[in-house]
Amino acid sequence: MPKSTDGQDTGGGQLSPQERAQFERRVSELNAKLEKRRAERGAEAADDAGAAMRGRGMAYGMRMASELVGAVLVGAAIGYGLDWVLGTKPWLLLVFFVLGFAAGVLNVMRGYERLQADIKRETGGNIGHSVPDDDD
Amino acid sequence: MPDPIHQFEIKRLIPLDLFGLDATFTNSALFMLLAAVLVSGFLILSMQGRSLVPTRLQSLAEMLYEFVANMVRDTMGHGHDDHGHGHGHDQGYMKFFPLVFTIFIFILTLNMLGMIPGFFTSTSHLAVTAGLALLVFVTVLIVGFAKNGFGFLKLFVPSGVPIYVLPLVVAIEIISFLSRPISHSVRLFANMLAGHITLKVFAGFIIMLLGAGGAYGILSILPLTMATALTALEFLVAFLQAYVFAMLTCMYLNDALHPGH
Repeated sequence: MPKSTDGQDTGGGQLSPQERAQFERRVSELNAKLEKRRAERGAEAADDAGAAMRGRGMAYGMRMASELVGAVLVGAAIGYGLDWVLGTKPWLLLVFFVLGFAAGVLNVMRGYERLQADIKRETGGNIGHSVPDDDD
Repeated sequence: MPDPIHQFEIKRLIPLDLFGLDATFTNSALFMLLAAVLVSGFLILSMQGRSLVPTRLQSLAEMLYEFVANMVRDTMGHGHDDHGHGHGHDQGYMKFFPLVFTIFIFILTLNMLGMIPGFFTSTSHLAVTAGLALLVFVTVLIVGFAKNGFGFLKLFVPSGVPIYVLPLVVAIEIISFLSRPISHSVRLFANMLAGHITLKVFAGFIIMLLGAGGAYGILSILPLTMATALTALEFLVAFLQAYVFAMLTCMYLNDALHPGH
């Protein structure tokens, strides 16, 4: 029996060209299956991440709404209280209602800035780096 | 249709009068006590072995610790990395870890207990969430003045504001500061209340449609789907709201430690 000359001595086991072709076909079939499974798993992970992001987004939205409403309520309450003490109904209520609204907008703006900083920190550490970037 | 508000009714279990104050032990108090006992029991039990290779329970407790410690570090540890204090600064804010951890796990347990059918949700009562929010608010005030003295008032005076609008800005900042415990408590309470009412309403639709009989019975599959999806959402909300409450606690405490922004 002639020795295999293609440089792949598999310890006595000889592969005829047909066997080799069959083997390669099986490898490529398995690869295709693996690819499909990987894609499915990736989609699942993306789905999970998407759900988590939606949840976070909802929590964030609720937070912003309550920050705005809370500040307006506090402003109105302070105005009403001062009016009651100073006997200036209804002027201070009106003034502090507007101030409360301004404070609410300020709250929302601060919350937005904080969110941006969080996103920057999170993605800055994970996207573009294969290793988490510990800066401290 | 069953009354969707009925589940929030406070029941007096053991009437108690403390120096003229009504300190009745209610079903709400019962579930808060249950949560405290569950949490303490779980943590004491899970840390019994204290082995280097943790048991399942111990690794769960360690995961909880890591989760909250990371939250505290992320919210309070940032902003003075560039001051060059290094790790010596850790103690400064990790002192508040026990408070944040207790608040987080207590609220999480109360929210999760509320997801068990027939159980009472203490966090769906404003009195409970406002109590927790005020605890944080007062802590922030005490820590702020103790650490910075009157420098804490810098929180209300942002730098770089022209003198003629300063009174206006200070008024707005004070209102913004005072609104914190309100949004802090209302958010948790409103989320739990709204979620449980919605669940109850959809569950009520199922019973109504089934009771109507015939073709209506088939339609009951629609609210059933909705109620199932909502249950999953409610579990997410129960966790997220506990997380948000604890994270805001960290943010407020951070302001108390560093009022200058």
